[in-house]
Amino acid sequence: MTGYFEIVLPIFILIGGAFVVYLLVRLFKLSNRTESMLTVLVLAGTLVVLVMHYLDVPDFIDRPEVFYGSAEPDGIIYRPNAVGAFILIIGVMIGILITLYSAEYLSRDPRYAVYYPLILLTLAGLLGMFTSNNLFNLFLLTELTTVTASALVAFRFREKISIRAGFKYLIMSSLGTMTMMLGIYFVYRSTGNMQLMGPLGVMDNFVRIGAACFLLGFSLKAGVVPLHTWVPDVYGHAPSAVSGLLAGVLSKSMLFIMPVVCLRLGISEVELGTYLMVFACFNMLVGSVRMLRQQQLRRFLSFSSIAQTGYLMFGLGMGFYYELDQALGVGLFLFLVIAVMKCLAFLAAGVYEYYTGSQDIERLRGVGKLMPLNALSLSIALAGLAGIPLLAGFNGKWLVFSAALLTADAFALACLGIFMLSSVISLGGYLPMIIKQYQESPQPTLEIEGFSQPDISKWMLLPVGLLSLLVVLIGIYPSPWINLVNQVMQWMVMSI
Amino acid sequence: MNPYQILLSGITILPVIGVIILLVWRKATKTQAAIIGIISESFALVIPIVLLTTLRKEGVILFSVPWIPNMQISFSLELSWLSITFLLTEVLATLAAMIYSLGDKDGEKNSNTYYALLLLFSLGMSGTTLADDVFLFYIFWELMLIASVLLILGWGHGENRFRVALKYFIITHLGSLMVLVCLITLYVNFGTASLTELVLHASSLPINMQVFLTAFFIIGFCVKMAIFPFHIWLPDAHTVAPMPVTIILAAAMLSMGTFGVLRFPFTLLAFESIQPFAIWMMIGGLISEVYGALMALAEQEIKRIVAYSSVSQMGYILFGLGTLTLRGMQGAVMHVVYHAIVKALLFMVVGIIIAVTRERDIRNVGGLGSKLPILTVCAAIGVLGISGMPPLGIFNSEWMIFAGGFDSGVSIVLTVMTLIGSLLTLVYGLRFFGMVFFGVQKPETLPEKSPRALLVPTIAVTVFLIIEGLVPGPLLEWATLGLTGIFGGLL
Repeated sequence: MTGYFEIVLPIFILIGGAFVVYLLVRLFKLSNRTESMLTVLVLAGTLVVLVMHYLDVPDFIDRPEVFYGSAEPDGIIYRPNAVGAFILIIGVMIGILITLYSAEYLSRDPRYAVYYPLILLTLAGLLGMFTSNNLFNLFLLTELTTVTASALVAFRFREKISIRAGFKYLIMSSLGTMTMMLGIYFVYRSTGNMQLMGPLGVMDNFVRIGAACFLLGFSLKAGVVPLHTWVPDVYGHAPSAVSGLLAGVLSKSMLFIMPVVCLRLGISEVELGTYLMVFACFNMLVGSVRMLRQQQLRRFLSFSSIAQTGYLMFGLGMGFYYELDQALGVGLFLFLVIAVMKCLAFLAAGVYEYYTGSQDIERLRGVGKLMPLNALSLSIALAGLAGIPLLAGFNGKWLVFSAALLTADAFALACLGIFMLSSVISLGGYLPMIIKQYQESPQPTLEIEGFSQPDISKWMLLPVGLLSLLVVLIGIYPSPWINLVNQVMQWMVMSI
Repeated sequence: MNPYQILLSGITILPVIGVIILLVWRKATKTQAAIIGIISESFALVIPIVLLTTLRKEGVILFSVPWIPNMQISFSLELSWLSITFLLTEVLATLAAMIYSLGDKDGEKNSNTYYALLLLFSLGMSGTTLADDVFLFYIFWELMLIASVLLILGWGHGENRFRVALKYFIITHLGSLMVLVCLITLYVNFGTASLTELVLHASSLPINMQVFLTAFFIIGFCVKMAIFPFHIWLPDAHTVAPMPVTIILAAAMLSMGTFGVLRFPFTLLAFESIQPFAIWMMIGGLISEVYGALMALAEQEIKRIVAYSSVSQMGYILFGLGTLTLRGMQGAVMHVVYHAIVKALLFMVVGIIIAVTRERDIRNVGGLGSKLPILTVCAAIGVLGISGMPPLGIFNSEWMIFAGGFDSGVSIVLTVMTLIGSLLTLVYGLRFFGMVFFGVQKPETLPEKSPRALLVPTIAVTVFLIIEGLVPGPLLEWATLGLTGIFGGLL
């Protein structure tokens, strides 16, 4: 093993941290709050290393000697990656907020001890996926995220529905990773090589089949229509904080690994772009239409998440199809704003669920009076997702429009038409949801049932408040974020 | 940056301070909140008037600070003769509505938010008229929509206000999206969001693209103007909204669509790309005029009658714009102003009728003439005003619009039909007036005396209407000055 150890240091911190935290909690019978604080420490450490690593990226890019691992021709190596660092910094930040949130959210759960290590391991897997330079390693780390995430989804295993959701996630995701495994077989069969960099050897149709397998596998994990069927069940029944992490970061980040692998394995940029744009349309339509008639708040958010996956695919797809760097930047910016808004929405929905025991939209009518701050946060998140000006989502919408109109091509414009349609349809979902929080209801509501105004825990208010602030901040002053995204986009273009 | 430019930014910044004060001061009574609202709003009235002399000297006043530099977006405002006409109309309408709201029953609960939203609504409109940056324009454009939707949601009447607000939001938003497509097309093609720069280059786009942009712009803005068949949001929204909001919606917000048509396709794009739409705008205007009038004639609910009359009046404006002649467009701009005054007056009258009789159905109201003489006079002047009786204002603007129609080179049949169609206005106006103020008194006992607090602003608007009609000179001059900029590029 040679090379720069700091490349894999964050993975070590996360995995090591997971075990240390778990052992400490078991040995000293630490409380949920303490464990959450310990986890925050581990995540903060990871964040510091990641940020430093990110600052180093300009020196690293395109330099073959920068890696960590075995230097032999088919050795396993890890390489730094700007896009990965960007996504993981967002992921770890969201992880910190989720951990803080869980300090209260899990306080009624006796099994909290395993929860935080699982979050750490999931993030470690994600981090590994972005740095790994070897298909087999990529497969292993994808499995790591799959297994840990499905354990998180089924965390409340005494509830049948939770088990079902976890099982569904496990089966579907395993199907995805199995397909990838098959892909590895095809690639290795033809090339005798599994490296994502360096000479690949023979390029034949088997390699392309392998690439298609990876495409399929990542699509499944990202929730691309028609492989989206697991999404509503999983996000709807996992603990809310976990849904936030999955919907905001984990599943959408798959769309950024997909091009790295597929372009390497002989799928052309135009093919990948076509794929992304065509299926983006399905995602946008299915997500926004199915969203309209949902009864459960988190299922509603899940379908909106499918639509947002579509927006993201649309941005990235244009970037590949037209070789338009700006559109790749749009994809990255959308990832950032969607992660923030989606996570906020799930966390706020979780607050309702935690205090009222219900996520039934009809029952939550008029809840805004009982929890005004939380209702405001959820409204900010939903309005942001709907693309209301001066919130983060609008800038994303503006950028998508700009990229599509810049291409001035019929294909992109047709997709833009669908995008507009989807955004209008989804307005019909977001607005009533916002309104219902403040509406007096003819049916018996929480208020009538004698439900009194709860004191929302500071642990929950802090992350929810911070995320709301961020949505407004990115909306009003997007300059620094756009600069950041443009930088990452340039590195992304160089490394693809 | 000279002091006038900084002063210009005050039009958008000072009302925001009012909004913040209102939002913080939760215990404010309705009167206190209204006073803060009126004070902050009057800044938006005083500043343009102060700037008039400078404007006369320089022709245009610009304020610009960078906002999102890496997207070439800046916070730029531009005061021109075109925008000042619309700006003052809108601010006056808002002020009138706010003063009227003092005597009105709406907005008793959460008054501070109510007036904050009224201020934001007005800010959205002033920003729309002033914005010199397409990004900023869209933000103000949507602010105007969001504030009005929240007002309808929070303080509207009737159980169906949620449905109505949703319909209003989604349909108008659809129009906004069409406008957004055009704005961003301009933005990406020239790499700048500044309208001052776009004016110089936009007509160099391929003509096909310009035709497409014109179509999208006109349809998008027609949704806001509530031109048939895009008017479906209007009657419900006007009916459900609390009266002050209805006044602002009808008197000011509708005309923002007119401003949009003048500011974007007419100012930016080449004449050849607009010409194909001229006749369709005239036909659309005619249909809207007749349809609105017929619906007003058929309606039984008092507020809806006046609401449909807006659809009809916007038809005249679109017709005037479609003539593509200086006269027709002067007429359209003047019609915007006169219509704002008349419509504010009519809705104030309707508000008083509803307040006094507690009835919304015109069949249950009648013979109020002898009990409420002052109101009757105001209503009479309003009805005569909207029917285009000289010397009241609308006579002047309709004269100009029809003159433009005859000048336009399009078959005069169209103009003659529009002219004859305007008779319908008189019909529904007189029906309304006759049913409410003549005949047997209904309801037999009036629950309340005519509320003085509502009558005072109504009388003031009536007087203003008469003055404006008698002295059309300054308005005509402003409209001409505002349009010459456009005509330079258009002809």
